[in-house]
Amino acid sequence: MIAGPILLLILPLAMAGIVYILLRWTSLSALLAAGTALALGFAIVTLPLDQPVRVWGGRQIAMGETVTFFGRELVLEQADRMAMAFIFFAAAGIFFLAWRFAQHSLLLPMGLALLSLLSGALLIRPLIYAALLVEIAAALSVFALQAEQRPSTRGGLRYLTFTTLALPGLLVTHWLLERYALTPDETSLLSTAASLLALSFALLLGVVPFHTWVPAVASDSVPLGGAFVLTIENGAVWFLLLDFLETYPWLSRHPRFGSLIGAAGLAMAVVGGLLAPAQRRLGPLVGYAALVDTGAALIALGMNSRLGLTLALLSLLVRPLGLILMSAGLSGFRVCSGSDGAIDSLRGLGRQAPWSTAALVFGGLSAAGLPVSAGFVWRWALCRALARSSPGTALVVLLAGLGVIVGVWRGLSALLARPRTPEDQSVVSLGPSDGWLTAGVVAVAILACVGLGLFPQVLAPLAAQIAGTYTFLVVP
Amino acid sequence: MPTLVDILERVSFLAAMPAVAGIFFSASLLVVSRDWRLNVTALTVQYFFVVLLMTRLIALEVAAVKGLTGWMICMVFYLTERRASMVDQPAAAEGAALSRRWVMSARASFCLLAMLLVSVAAYTAALRIPLPEVPADITLACYLLAGLGLLLIGLSEAPMQVGFGLLTFLSGFDLFYVALEQSLAVAALLGAVSFLIALAAAYLRAAEIVIAEGGNAP
Repeated sequence: MIAGPILLLILPLAMAGIVYILLRWTSLSALLAAGTALALGFAIVTLPLDQPVRVWGGRQIAMGETVTFFGRELVLEQADRMAMAFIFFAAAGIFFLAWRFAQHSLLLPMGLALLSLLSGALLIRPLIYAALLVEIAAALSVFALQAEQRPSTRGGLRYLTFTTLALPGLLVTHWLLERYALTPDETSLLSTAASLLALSFALLLGVVPFHTWVPAVASDSVPLGGAFVLTIENGAVWFLLLDFLETYPWLSRHPRFGSLIGAAGLAMAVVGGLLAPAQRRLGPLVGYAALVDTGAALIALGMNSRLGLTLALLSLLVRPLGLILMSAGLSGFRVCSGSDGAIDSLRGLGRQAPWSTAALVFGGLSAAGLPVSAGFVWRWALCRALARSSPGTALVVLLAGLGVIVGVWRGLSALLARPRTPEDQSVVSLGPSDGWLTAGVVAVAILACVGLGLFPQVLAPLAAQIAGTYTFLVVP
Repeated sequence: MPTLVDILERVSFLAAMPAVAGIFFSASLLVVSRDWRLNVTALTVQYFFVVLLMTRLIALEVAAVKGLTGWMICMVFYLTERRASMVDQPAAAEGAALSRRWVMSARASFCLLAMLLVSVAAYTAALRIPLPEVPADITLACYLLAGLGLLLIGLSEAPMQVGFGLLTFLSGFDLFYVALEQSLAVAALLGAVSFLIALAAAYLRAAEIVIAEGGNAP
């Protein structure tokens, strides 16, 4: 019998090796990576946790079985199940787009290895090991982030630096809380633990002023690698945060919990919304769009209610669509123009790369939370919920989304500009225009983005179901 | 032939303030110098003194394994930079010329001043905010390593310098954390983290060199 946690740890790791060997065959390696992630995602969602299931060759898989690894427990629980499914499905989407936009990139094998590590981080107990596995994943991400033929190493270095700086706080918090359990009179231990935890997660989530790694990852790395970090690894950190809140419920009952989280989210939305329209390159624009999205999700969590948690989880579920599409568009422009995504260098390129342009626009719409996109579903609900209790915050969330869309509009204006003279044509196409295969892949992603925007009932109940598995909320 | 554990036992008389002084000088050298040979040597010496201090907190064998991991990391850095200097001969020659007069450069002076300020801050922190479960001299070593590591990270965007900074910072934390958590699994994972950080920094350095040559990333 194969225990589910072992399957989720070993299979992606084994496939990472195979995909690395097959990397020169672009389609085979990408589809193998996407297929593995998709199959494991379906296995997590469909296979029951409470009983073993007979699969190929008469072998049985017990998804809910607890595995002991070096004395530590690995167990797939109901709350983690959806988190795991999310990271596997989002990874499948990224690998699918990497087929056309990040060919021969180390993103595919490293992405599979990262899935194994992040699964371990979500499954292992106690949480101290999860922090270490997230740090190891961050170090491995550097290999997936470094872009070929680009001298800048800033993206990977910044991400590695901030994740490493977050590690001590998480590890010491665990010791402080263990000590508090032995000496409950020492309440100062709790406040120290809460401060360290807040600082560590601020570093991991890129809360202002620790946000500099977010635009760096988006601009100075393989765009889809950056999207992997900003959606999947960031998503794993979010679920780790929720696990901490669930394990130590006094954290969310702290009188300043809501205001602190809300203020952090507000600062991110303000900074992202102000800086996004001022960018001269598309890469940092993607980063600031992610910053606004995370900020709005933190504002939702800061509501400290079931609705707020549902909206924060819904934001995690739909975020990949916006950021992946924007990153795919950026990849297309980089290949086509050979530039680093500077807006001025993309004049007129929209006609040569219409599908990359469409990916950027629809991804931007979703990241900004505007209608006819997946991002609109939760952002609109958040604004409505905030309008009653905190109209100023609702206005900031709306304006931050507007800032992102202004940045996208500037990019679109340059892309669609018609060169008047030969000298005015700054773009010399270096690569082939979007082919029909690329068009098909982008069209599927755009349809998914628009479809979820038009039919929110597909994902919203799922987010509510995941929120229902957490019991730490003050206002149920 | 003496084993590593035997050697550590023989030099255990250094495992107090002399080791803290050794850590201070080696970490300071990392901050001020940009010569990769000096830096790799300083990191090797730094790991030696950190391991010496660790022998007071954990089993000698575990400390020896941590030392081996550290020296393997130094080997990774050495091989990467050696390869880089072979590929980039003109730049290396220029670097050697610079290294001869680094004491006089404005950058080195600034780094020296910043290092002194951080060291004073670390000393003050060690007096005012003692760390739990560790003696005063080790507290000072932890603060020095963490502070100078952060300074290294902040002063440069070069992969190797940031790598040195991250590893110095982690050494400071590890020295403190071994007193709190003595689980072998945690020690092994922290060792893996350090080694992967070194590999990542070396990969980025290699990418810089290869791209400067006009090729693709490794």
